[in-house]
Parts: sequence; structure tokens; C-alpha cells
Amino acid sequence: MKIDRALLLEKARELKSQGYSYLVKITAVDYESYLEVIYMLRNLSERKDETLEVDVDPADAWVPTLIEDFKAADWYEREMYEMFAIEIKGREMERLLLEKWNGKAAPLRKNFAWNEPYEKGD
Amino acid sequence: MVTRINIGPVHPSTHGVLRMVADIDGDTVVNVEPHIGFLHRGVEKLVETRMYMQSPVYMEKLDYVAPLSYDEIYVAAVEKAMGVEVKERAMYVRTILLELQRIASHLLWLGTMANDVGQFFTMFMWCFKDRDLVLRLLEEASGARMFYVNMRIGGLIRDLPPGFDERTIEVLGYLEKRIKKYEDYLEKNPIFVDRFKGVGVVSREMAIELGLTGPVLRGSGVSYDVRKDNPYYIYDKLNFEPQKRSEGDCFARYRVRMLEMKESIRLVKEALRNIPEGDALGMQIRLILPSAKSKIVCVSRELPRGECLMYMVSDPQRPYRLSIRAPTFINLAALSSIVKGCRTADIFAILGSLDIVMGDVDR
Repeated sequence: MKIDRALLLEKARELKSQGYSYLVKITAVDYESYLEVIYMLRNLSERKDETLEVDVDPADAWVPTLIEDFKAADWYEREMYEMFAIEIKGREMERLLLEKWNGKAAPLRKNFAWNEPYEKGD
Repeated sequence: MVTRINIGPVHPSTHGVLRMVADIDGDTVVNVEPHIGFLHRGVEKLVETRMYMQSPVYMEKLDYVAPLSYDEIYVAAVEKAMGVEVKERAMYVRTILLELQRIASHLLWLGTMANDVGQFFTMFMWCFKDRDLVLRLLEEASGARMFYVNMRIGGLIRDLPPGFDERTIEVLGYLEKRIKKYEDYLEKNPIFVDRFKGVGVVSREMAIELGLTGPVLRGSGVSYDVRKDNPYYIYDKLNFEPQKRSEGDCFARYRVRMLEMKESIRLVKEALRNIPEGDALGMQIRLILPSAKSKIVCVSRELPRGECLMYMVSDPQRPYRLSIRAPTFINLAALSSIVKGCRTADIFAILGSLDIVMGDVDR
């Protein structure tokens, strides 16, 4: 279901209280005019899935963190930050998840210049 | 006093190129931080530049221990995007090959895991020898020993060869005896039991919160298995029960995988008994360029290491975006939460019981 970015945390908490406590995946898709962030949650006792989709503006790309309610969000959020340059507000990331990655570009965005020389990170 | 030690990235017990920075106090682990990304090949970006049926080769290199499973899930996602039904015989053949792949993958895990906990190379050699028998069957069916690429849209590149079922039954009968022997060898061995029982306990709540998957989740008492709960192909017709244990320690995860191997042997036998006659061949990609409509598909499969999910936004010629939920990625992410308070040597026992493949973690 499509929801607004401001309501994401509230909705995720509401779903968690209804039993959707298993986070399957956080991912994003670049549709060029906007970025879509997808949260997949699962209710393990009733075997039901729920998807939350948040549209964000590529120029002002950020989403709130879910790490306090879903510990599994940790690496997914860090991966999304590196691959899509979507900032995660509300948590600190002291280093990049992928080793030797400079973290300057957003490779999974459609405007990524993949044939330009790459500068190694540390 | 807390000491920081570096483990890897090239280390025999990290099953690939994984670097871990461990903070230890005496012999007690305070924190372990896994550093990944040494094997990152950007597959999710790469497939966006390739036509649909050029990508299975990349998918197979993700999890190089169970390549067929990744091949199958990717092709299934393309089939769903194209709206193609799989032929009935092909469903049976795919199920048989997938379960054989699961056995081969678990056998490799068993051998390398036993190396990690001090059963040096006896199990390793046994398991590799037996895994080769399974690989030989897969080779007969596909023509390649390790990277098969034998899934085609709607079916397979070729049908099973004549006499495949007799040879499979023979190998499976042999494996049943061998698995019994492995269990005796390991479970009557006090060193192995000491290293595994009660180590790295993950409670049911913790497993759900950390998002663990596959045998690790089922070892903690959650019986979620895609083959049972969201069945695909012929799993709902087969007599299948997901295996679970409630203890949540390394030993429980070991037991779940051993039981899964036995379950897979049973499933292959049952599928071979009921396999229908007919055609199992898929589209020849040399003749037809697959094309799909623009839509969003989501396919979920139970891989040997856990649930894999492919979220694909399709375009007519190539995927617009392919997002892969790699099972070992999330299992490895949980490592630092599981090892807290353990002994230093237990890091490797726990890592072995999580069954990671770095190609799958990094993608």
C-alpha cells in the first residue's frame, strides 16, 4: 500500500502491533521522476504479507529509520543508503557496509555513470 | 581490557572473503563486526543492462554452492513477468533437481562446518565424495557439473536422460546410509557436541526480530518454510513437513539441516514415483527473444540457505530493476547479535552453523 513518508513509522508500528513483526526486505526502485522505497513485512503466525511503499523525491531523498522496531532493518537500510543515496534519518552509520566502496555515487540509480573511472574507498 | 583482533578477509573458516573485527575481553566476545563487500559484483545493476535470458549465468554465480536454485528463482520471476505457465512434467523435473541441489549444498555445508569445529577433514572428504555423486546426477540432467544454466522459460533445456530415476534412487539409497553414518560420527563425538550444544542460542522472538531465515529460523522453533506456506511447483502435492527444532542453538541448526537432507531424499523419491510423461522442454532462447510487459513481480522460493525473494520491475526487453533478498545477507547481519557473550572460538562455530556464502551476501 502506498503511504506518505511522514506516516511510515506510525504505520509500521501499527502493523507490528497487529503481528507483522518479521521484516522481509527493504528495497528501493528508481523511477527517475521519483524513488520508491519498499518495506515488506510479514505476519508469521497468520502467514500474511504486507507491503508499504513510500515515494521520495530524488533531490530530497530520505526516509526515517525503522531500526528501533525492526532490528533486521539495520543492514538493509545501510545497503539502501549506499546503493541509492537515500539518507536514513534517526540513526548513525559510522562506516559504509561494503568494504572498499567510496560511497560517493549511487550505483543503483538510473543516472549512475557506470563507465566512468572508479575511485577506491578505504 | 578489550582487545580488538582482525579476522580475515582471507581465512579458512570464513567461507569466502569475509572480514570480521572482533572485540574480545579475555576470551569473551564483546562485539563482532562483519565487514562485507569484497565479492560485490553489482549483479543487481548488471542485469539491468542484459536481456532476460542472458542473466541466469550471473544469478548462478551468486550462490555458487547452490547455483541451480538461483537459476530457477530468476527464471520463475521472468516467467511470472511474461505470464508463462510451466509445463507439468517440467515442474516435477525442476522439483527433483532443486531437491538434489539442496542435498548437495547441505553436504558441502556439513563438511566445511565440521572443519570449523575441529573434525578436521574426515567429514570434509566424506561429504565432498558424496556430494560428487549428487553433482554427477545433476550433470547428467543438465550437461554441466557446477553451473548448470538449464532452466528455460516454461521448462528446461532438456528432459531427464533415460535411466536417470534408477541411478538417482541408487544414489539416494546410498546417501541415506551415509547420513546415518555422519550422524553417528558427529553426535557420538563429545568434542563436536561440546562445541555445538548450547552455543549461539537464538530464541524464537530474537530470530523473528533479527529477520533470520531458512534453517536458522527453523532451528529457533519457527516453522516457516516457503515450500509449505507458499507452495510452488508440486510441493503442495507432495507429502512434506518442514523440519524444525526449538532449542535455537548451533546443534539445533545442524539437526534441522540433517533432517532436511533426509526430507529432500524422500521428496525426490516421491516425485520420481509420480512424474508424468510428456514434454518438459522450455523455449529455445536462440529462436525467441523473451519479452514481458511492464509490471512488478515478486517471487519467493526456499533456497538451501533460506528464503530468497526476487522483486522485479519488468520492462519489455530487460529487467528495469531486480532486487534480490539474499538469505545469507540477513543471516550474517545477525551474527554480531548472536555472538555477544560467547567464547572467541565459538565465533567460528556460530558462523559455520549460519551457513553463509559470500557471493550471496555481497551480490
